[in-house]
Amino acid sequence: MPVPVLKQGDVLIASVQAALSDKDLAQLREDLADRVGRYRARGVIIDVAALDVLDSFAARTVRGIAYSTRLRGARTVVVGIQPDVAYAMVQLGLSLDDIATALDVEEGLALLRTTA
Amino acid sequence: MAEIAPAIMGRVFPAEIAIDAREIERRKAFLEFREEDAEALKSLNEIAQTYAEPVIEDFYRHILAFEETRAFFGDPKRLERVKRLQKEYFLRLTQGDYTADYVANRLRIGTVHEQINLDPKWYLGAYNFYLRAVGSRLQEKFACEPNKAFASLLSMMKLVFLDIGLALDTYFFAREATMRKQQEAIRELSTPVLQIRERLLLLPIIGVIDTHRARLITENLLQAIRSNRAKVVVMDVTGVVTIDSRVANHLLQSVAAARLMGATVIVTGLSSEVAQALVQLGIDLSRVSTVGDLQGGIEEAERVLGLRVLASDTDHSPARPG
Repeated sequence: MPVPVLKQGDVLIASVQAALSDKDLAQLREDLADRVGRYRARGVIIDVAALDVLDSFAARTVRGIAYSTRLRGARTVVVGIQPDVAYAMVQLGLSLDDIATALDVEEGLALLRTTA
Repeated sequence: MAEIAPAIMGRVFPAEIAIDAREIERRKAFLEFREEDAEALKSLNEIAQTYAEPVIEDFYRHILAFEETRAFFGDPKRLERVKRLQKEYFLRLTQGDYTADYVANRLRIGTVHEQINLDPKWYLGAYNFYLRAVGSRLQEKFACEPNKAFASLLSMMKLVFLDIGLALDTYFFAREATMRKQQEAIRELSTPVLQIRERLLLLPIIGVIDTHRARLITENLLQAIRSNRAKVVVMDVTGVVTIDSRVANHLLQSVAAARLMGATVIVTGLSSEVAQALVQLGIDLSRVSTVGDLQGGIEEAERVLGLRVLASDTDHSPARPG
């Protein structure tokens, strides 16, 4: 199931609704890289609130998205990581150290605004 | 040993002490307590009947001669009751039935002694007195058959050691139960997460952190971040006396997990000893923001949140720095 990407001003919001296959993730990375340029977006928010697991491949893809969108001039914020997911990720050593995080979409938008 | 306080026995039955028939068999096998021993003891029952009275009298004379043990028998009425029960036990030693019922009785009596705080040293000393009393009576009775006297005493000794083992089990069981209860209490006290300002949480950590507790702390913290929509967390470790690499790792994991949820963690209260220990251990906390004390941590948190605290008095004194 592909991930819907909404445009909100100069921010793109990718709202992940269900567990993603590796193919969906790759598709999402391409979509975002493409749209950041097309819409001249300044920020990207990836909302993973609906996910109850984030494995190492997903974490690596998210990091890849963050790098590629940064090269295209937009900042990526991952929002909505659930408490259990956060704990499991840390146990697996996936702490996404170099990626901005926020509690939810609202916070993510605020973060992108303050660091404009 | 006798039932000292039968009144409280009803609620102390140590049902949780797991000693089943197999366990009893194993213990008897290790003591080499065999059918012959049971038979030999049973054959002494008649002699025991005649000697019970004087042996018990000697026994209590001995016990009352020491203030440490006398304290448990202050009341003459109680003393009478205890003597009667002690006599029952004495006779029971030679009744030939040493199975589940006997063991349950021993455990119950042991628990009673544990509950009145009779130290095991007196308990064991009393057994020693018993053995010596029985030995000298046997020697007297079987003056012409020293071998029989000695064999009987050996059988008695095996049984008494079985009893001692059971008595010690009740003591250990009680101590372990106390420790479990205390650990439970510590665990429940251990993880408060307090909101001290809008979007600012305080996590005071006190005492020893083990893996289990670290997990609880992290889970509580993450839930609180979610429910309070916290943006900054001040984690105060003033009450943590030692931090080794394992504990440091747990703290780092909490910080990383909180960050994944979009919250910044400020660690405060690392004492100079702890700081030096961390450096010596080569633990890298450079990715964690640390502030010396709790006050500084809260001020830093307010700064991150864009808050500023001003004195409320109306004169024109300058605002408190910070």
